Parts: sequence; structure tokens; C-alpha cells
Amino acid sequence: MNSAPHILVIDDEPQIQRAIRTILTEKQFKVTTASRGEEGLTLAATSEPDLVILDLGLPDMDGVKVCQRLREWTQTPIIILSVRDSERDKVAALDMGADDYLTKPFGIEELLARVRVALRHAASRKGEQSKVVKVGTLTIDLAWHIIKRGEEEIKLTGREYKLLAYLASNHGRVLTHQSILTHVWGEADADHTEYLRVYMRQLRKKLEVDPERPQFILTEPGIGYRFIADE
Amino acid sequence: MNSTYMQNPSFAARLWKYLIAFLLIAVITVLFMALRDVLETTLIALLYLIPLGIITAYWGLGPGITSALITFLTFNYFFIQPYYTLTVHQPADVVILLVFLIVAVVISQLVGRAQAGLAVATAREREATQLYELSTAFAGLPDDHAIVQILAKQVYAVAEGEYVELNVTGAHPFAYRLPEINSPARPPELIVLIEAARGLLGEIRLWRAAPVISASEKRLFQTFASQGALALERAWLAQAEARTKVLEESDRLKSAILSSVSHELRTPLSTIKAAASSLRGKEVGWDSPARLELVAAIDDEADHLNLLVGNLLDMSRIESGALQPKREWNILAEIIESVLGRMRHLAQEHSLTVDVPEDLPLIPVDYVQMEQVFTNLVSNSLKYAPANTVVCIRARVEGESLHVEVSNQGPQVPPEHLERIFDKFYRITAADKVTGTGLGLSICKGIIDAHDGHIWAENLPDGLAFNFIIPLMWNGAKPPQLPMDTETE
Repeated sequence: MNSAPHILVIDDEPQIQRAIRTILTEKQFKVTTASRGEEGLTLAATSEPDLVILDLGLPDMDGVKVCQRLREWTQTPIIILSVRDSERDKVAALDMGADDYLTKPFGIEELLARVRVALRHAASRKGEQSKVVKVGTLTIDLAWHIIKRGEEEIKLTGREYKLLAYLASNHGRVLTHQSILTHVWGEADADHTEYLRVYMRQLRKKLEVDPERPQFILTEPGIGYRFIADE
Repeated sequence: MNSTYMQNPSFAARLWKYLIAFLLIAVITVLFMALRDVLETTLIALLYLIPLGIITAYWGLGPGITSALITFLTFNYFFIQPYYTLTVHQPADVVILLVFLIVAVVISQLVGRAQAGLAVATAREREATQLYELSTAFAGLPDDHAIVQILAKQVYAVAEGEYVELNVTGAHPFAYRLPEINSPARPPELIVLIEAARGLLGEIRLWRAAPVISASEKRLFQTFASQGALALERAWLAQAEARTKVLEESDRLKSAILSSVSHELRTPLSTIKAAASSLRGKEVGWDSPARLELVAAIDDEADHLNLLVGNLLDMSRIESGALQPKREWNILAEIIESVLGRMRHLAQEHSLTVDVPEDLPLIPVDYVQMEQVFTNLVSNSLKYAPANTVVCIRARVEGESLHVEVSNQGPQVPPEHLERIFDKFYRITAADKVTGTGLGLSICKGIIDAHDGHIWAENLPDGLAFNFIIPLMWNGAKPPQLPMDTETE
């Protein structure tokens, strides 16, 4: 990334702002901060950031609401920050269009990884989407519907493929249960997380080297799943 | 309407008593007529006294005296010559008649008075019984509503009134009515105040137009009211005492939490402070290996602090009943694998084995909370079990429940502590020997309880096992069987 990407941080806690600004500036990002929801929305409209880091617990308005207002006019990636035990809010924000989340307190490595994934996704949304996803020895060809481990082809059922394709084409991002169910099964089955559990288990058995220690398909407790691919 | 209805039966009953008395005299007279030629007049006079005694004993003074007068006339009419007149010829007969009259009246009066005395004694005894019943019913009743209900029922039953209303005043006023309809439009016939040492507690309002409430009844209801007042005062005092106990208990708990928390929070904070300040200073060189160690210490201790705060939050949620599991059909193996995946770096000195059958049904649990349970049980096992031992997670279906066992080869727990290790801040070892919050196991208990399950610990021949069972049924539904597609792409 040559021209320094611009990141807008909306968080009301000065210490968090200070820490994130220090580290992101160090990593050659351009950082703007806002401590209130309304201020953040205004800054997002005027400065058109490449990415928004949004805290869910803002003093003036609900973070989920900020997320919704942003999504009304922009597809800029949004990373949610929130405290533990607010799975409901996280899921609501993710379903509202946020791209990822981090639970406070978080490590900076984690934050940087999420920022990179989100920026890459935004870039691939604009340009041509990569049709082949690689992870370890596994190759997923989304154009030809072929999955290989090394040279050996792995056979999947129709539903399993659909599930894997959705995960792989969004690799690096967290996908909520509801969004996966809606995409793979349809609106009517959006509440049947047990479908997801069972199919995910089958998929892991077929894909993972050691299904008991999944490396590609990670569970995000209470939220959903995340597919990890090579950069 | 009501009052005439109330009066009729007593009037009819009174009439009935006289009728029976007259009938008895008539029957006896007919009997004596048949024996008139055999029996002497004086004997008949004597025999007549028997029914008189019986009448007075059974039906009271009124029928007794009336019967005595009637008997006097019938005796004269049928048995004193000349028959069938009221005239008397023989002077001796005059004497017999007079003596009979006097004896008859005196007997009637004596028996009647004894009878009345008996009635009073019976009434007293009934009152005493009613009072006794009331005080027995009140005994140990901690609930003021129950007391008022009993009092109202007793007044209603004893008075045989139309309507009873019992009002309790004070901080939380309430009323109890019998029967449960609107009170009559007119004012009550009797109001009895329920008074105690500290003032007026309420009142009993009784509606009974007839028979008119007697002075002795009023006295009885007064006694009822004072019994009720005593019971109410006792109940309120007991309630106040119970509240005080709860407050004291929660106060004690809070100070236990505070002392534990300040100790537990300060330990990682001290490490962080020491490490951060030495990194900031010039003592540690940029290339020194100590630098990395200090940074790692800050990172680890920050995680520890985070865990501590999380545990406290969970505990306060469990305490306040706000821990509502978000249940879904989950795969136990996935939960366990995800927990072990995150804990593996902590378990390098132990070996972790998982024994969960592949065909285990889906379980209705909150994924995140169940992860918490496994995390706490496994980390507890890792903390106390010596290095190079096995920590094992086993799961089985037993009937309609899931039974999970997390066992380790660590030290056993004395039997008397087995239950208490699930208490908050309960430790067998001294707090400063083992790091932790003292909350892990009680959080497990809180979560398992919220899932309608049961958790316990038991000693094994070579270690300790934590067990829990949770029902497989959820809202009356069995674990779903999913239709799987098998055809490949």
C-alpha cells in the first residue's frame, strides 16, 4: 500500500485513541479520531476514510446505529471494537454491515491483521476478485468449483461446496451465523444454527489436516466463523 | 329479605320444642289412662315428674314450666276424681295437686337453670377452642397475608355472618374479604380494631344484621383481633430480621469480594508496573534478553487482569440472576476442541485427552457459556495437577441427560470440601500460593445451574474429577436429526 491509507477511529476513551493512533501512525497510516458518534459520522462524510474503527459503546449514540448510518451511503470497511460479553451487539453490528470485530482488550498484532484484511477486501471489491484461494496445501478454485489438497481432489456435496465457497471468498473476515445461513440455506433457515454446526463439522473433517485442531475454519464463539487463507 | 329469613328458623325451632313437649305429655297421659285403675293417684303424680324432667333438660326452662302447668291441669282433669272435670272433692287430692304443682315447677326450674349453666359453659369452651385454634393457626406463620386470611376466615366461620372485611393499614396496606364479592352497601354491624403496642394495625368489619351481635360475641372478636395483632407484629418483626440477615450476608460477601479483588488485582498490576517502569527507565538495555521477558510479563499479566475482570462480571451476573443462557443446538466436540485449541499453550506440561463419542446428539447449550465451563474446569485441573499427568474430558449420554467428566491426576480434596469448592472465593490452599480468582468453579456452577443441570466433584483413586449433567431435552424437544445431502458436486 503506497499512499498511506486513511483510518478514522471513533472511540470515546482517550487512552484507547492515544494507543491506536500511536501504533497506526507508526505503521504509516494516516489517523483521524472522533470521540462521539455524530462527530464520527461527520468526519466520515467529509474526509472519506479508507477504513473506520468504531467502538460500540459511545456516549451519544449506539455504535450499531452509527454502523447502520455509515452503511446507508458508504462501503468503507468498518471494524468494531467492543468489550467482552456483548456478543449480541457485535452480531447486530456485523449483520448491519460491519466487516470485523475486536474484543477489548486486544493485542496490536490482532488489530493490524484485521486492518490489513479489511483493506484488502475493500480493494478486491473494487477490482477483480481473486478466483483461487490458497491455504497451506489446499487450493480452492472458485471459478471451476475444484478443491484440491496437493494434487488430490476433495469431493464435497453441493451444500458443503456452497458453504466453503462463501467462507473462502470472504477469507479473513468474520461471518455471522445468520449471514452464512442466509447465504447458504436461505432466509427461511436463518435461525437454524444447528445446520451450520453439523455441516461445518463435516467440512472440517474433509478439509482440515487435523479436524480437532482446525487451522482454516475458525470458530468465533457466539458470533460465527472465519476462514483463514494465505495472504 | 335476609333478616326475616334469618329469624324464621329460630322461631320455628322454638315452636317445635313446645310442640314436642306437649306431644310427649299427651302420649304419657294416654299411657297412664290405660293404667288408671291399677295405679294409685299419688304414683301417677310421681310418674308425671319424669317426662317433666326430661322436657326441661332437653328443651329448656320455657317448655319445662309450661309443661308443668299443663301436666297439673291434665292430672287434675284425667286422674283426680271426679274424672273429666277440674273440680276436686277430696281434701287429700287438693294436697296431692298442690304438692305436684310445687314439685313440678321447682324441678323444672332447677333442671332448667343447670341446663342454662351448661349452655354457658359449653359456649365458653367453644370460644376457648376457637381461640386455641386461631392461635395454633397463627403459630409460626411468617406471612402477614396468610395471618389476615386465617383471621378473616375464623371470624366469618364463628360469626356465621354475611360478610367479613379485614383491612390492614401501615406501609403496605391490603384487605381480605369473605366471600370474595363486593361488600354490602350498608355500614358494617361491627367494627373491631386490630391494635398492638405500636398502634393501630387494621380493623375487622363484620356484616350480620340478625341475629344481633351479642356482647359476648363482641368480646370474642376483640380477643380474635388482639390475637391477630400479636401474630401480625411477630410476622413483621421476623420479616425485618430476615431482611437484616440478607443485608448482613451480602455485606459480608461484598467485603470478601473487595478484599479478594484488591489482592488479586494488585498482583498483576504490580508486575505490569514494575516491568513497564523498568522498560521506560535506562536500566534495561535495548538488546538485553531481560527486555523481552519484561514485555512478555506485561502481556501475560494484562491477560490475567482481563480474565479476573471477566470472572467478576460473570459472577455478578450469576448473582443477580442476569445470566440467561442463549441456547442453541450445539456439537459438544466443537466446543471442547475450540477450548483446547486456545488452552494448548498452557497445557504443555500435561497431556490432554478427549473421549467424546462421534455419534453424541446435539446438545441445547449456550456455546460461549459452555466454553467458559470447560475453560475453567480444565484450567483448574492444569493448575493443581502435577506435570506429566493426564487431564481427560469424557462425555456420555445417560438416559435423557449428557454426563461430562473432566478428570485429572492432581491431589484429592478432603470429602468435607467437595461441595464447598464450588463456593465463591473458597480455596483449600492459601490464596497467595495459587493464582486465580477463586471464582472459576462457582461460575461453572452458576452456568450449569442456569442450564438446569447439576455439577459436582468427586475423588478418584488417582485424582479428582469434576462432573456435570445437563438435560438433552430443550423445551420438550429432543435433539434434532438433520437430513444430510450425500451427493457430491
